[in-house]
Amino acid sequence: MEKIILCIKGVPKPGTVKVDPKTHTLKRESLELILNPPDRQAIEMTARLKETYGFKVYVITMGPPNVIPLLKEVYGIVADEMVLLSDRAFAGSDTLATSYVLAQAIKRLSPYSLVLMGLKSIDGETSQVPPETAALLELPSLTHVKAIYKEENSWVVIRQTEYGEEELEVNPPFVASILPEAFDYLRPPSLKRLLEAKVKEPMVLAANDLDLIPERLGLNGSPTQVVDVFEKKIEIKGQVIEGDPSFLVEKLVSVLEQKGIINP
Amino acid sequence: MFKKYRLENLEKGNLIAFGEVFQGMLHPSSIEILTPLKDLGLKLNKKVVLVCLIDDVDSFKDLELLKKCIADEIWMVCHQELAHFRDDLYAEVLVEMVKATDPCGLFFPATSIGCSLAPRIAGRLNLGLCAHVNHLEIEDGKIVMTRPTYGENIIAKLISNTSPVMATLSIGAFSAIYGEKEPKFFEVEMPSDFSWVSKLKVRRFTPAAKQPNRLSTAKVVIAGGRGLRSKENFQKLFELAEVLRAEVGATRPVCYEGWVEEDRMIGISGVTVRPKVYIGLGISGALQHTVGMENSEYIVAVNIDKEAPLVKMAHLGLIGDAPKVLDLLIKRLKK
Repeated sequence: MEKIILCIKGVPKPGTVKVDPKTHTLKRESLELILNPPDRQAIEMTARLKETYGFKVYVITMGPPNVIPLLKEVYGIVADEMVLLSDRAFAGSDTLATSYVLAQAIKRLSPYSLVLMGLKSIDGETSQVPPETAALLELPSLTHVKAIYKEENSWVVIRQTEYGEEELEVNPPFVASILPEAFDYLRPPSLKRLLEAKVKEPMVLAANDLDLIPERLGLNGSPTQVVDVFEKKIEIKGQVIEGDPSFLVEKLVSVLEQKGIINP
Repeated sequence: MFKKYRLENLEKGNLIAFGEVFQGMLHPSSIEILTPLKDLGLKLNKKVVLVCLIDDVDSFKDLELLKKCIADEIWMVCHQELAHFRDDLYAEVLVEMVKATDPCGLFFPATSIGCSLAPRIAGRLNLGLCAHVNHLEIEDGKIVMTRPTYGENIIAKLISNTSPVMATLSIGAFSAIYGEKEPKFFEVEMPSDFSWVSKLKVRRFTPAAKQPNRLSTAKVVIAGGRGLRSKENFQKLFELAEVLRAEVGATRPVCYEGWVEEDRMIGISGVTVRPKVYIGLGISGALQHTVGMENSEYIVAVNIDKEAPLVKMAHLGLIGDAPKVLDLLIKRLKK
């Protein structure tokens, strides 16, 4: 059966972020992780493709063991196998070091047809991992994808950017990152599969299990390095006015007049 | 029309900016990112080169704009296969260029295309890449990139240990400036064995029905956050925008809620605005958002919470319920 590799990420629950003052990286071990919201559309896309074409789905993620519940959540929705890439050596990876590990792990799962990811993660917000992984796998990459379907002899991908909508033909295998606006719905997990997931454990791969060059891993293997972090201080600029809404509106209108935005 | 140069004969070691051309039009951010690069170029004694990939010169519409820009040189790669952006082929052209001309920096506007293309090149050449950088400087001879990070009030400074240094630069974070001296134009001849093939075949392109918004250059910006409480309330911003001839902006959470399209997101991975007047309604002011609007001339914050960061940094903080204030303001202005 043809395979979809679905990559997901556990991201810190907004408001719980701590930065290690020494390494300037995110303290991931102590964090409460949630499924990266833009991954939801990649999961829904996977579920639709599986329904239509009967794919076998591998969900894969890199992170500490506290991401396992997220893998199980995705198992409950769509996945057939779970893979966790976990090793202290991966800690502090930038997007290139992350993509390198992902690409090596995905190679292990060959042959496969599609690699799907969310457009970006809400913590790093780089959107770099899907194209970087594709480049390392020497596969075509498409970002901002909102539809994928098969025609007689080829696969068709619809991508949407600020310029408009493109319809492209591409042969698998390829890597696609899915547009957050692609769907406004993610199907719930099935109870039966969630129960299955309770006793099923993911395949855990550490650095030694994969064909990896140690110099390319983790904080030290990352070409981009944080040299300094500082907290942004808020400067207090002006006046604060309290009152009932109509009073506030009058104040605002007079400012807009002063600034020449509206005519008095 | 331009002097033709073989790729291997072009000058080496430059700062390269990617000039994004789509359907013959140059993305304005391509001009903006030249501003910080020119400054780096002066400090490092390097030339700034803007590279455009186009299908042919006759269908390129922004030549006059390029003549006024502050790049030292413009390199045009012209080939019919470049008529439409395709990630793999565009990346390979630039990979060849990096290999042949050994630039010290390679920068992209953080547009959809820039954010698709830059990581593909970084992956091909195993280079470090920083995303959504909004400040560039030189420290100890090294290019240091600044970006807000982690969604908290933390700014990070980064360097890259690989060369060229690569980054995507936030849209609107830098203002375009124009020069007196016309840049030198070259048409780049790719090696004869370069393979102009892509695994992506464009079957159809449908231009977006609506014009792209003009947030980054708007004189008045009205932005809404979660404090507006519903998509319906958020939509009223457009009504207000019409009266004030303003553009509507948004915070990240409301874009993710689907209240408005993501191209209206102000902040780190969205647009940077610097209007005459910015009005933020129901926005608490996470750094993610404020880095994209802090240089506005006059900031008004409407929020129920006196302690909200945006209220503190505003020139005028109005403490009240944002949806109520919005309704009243529209009524008042339409009178």
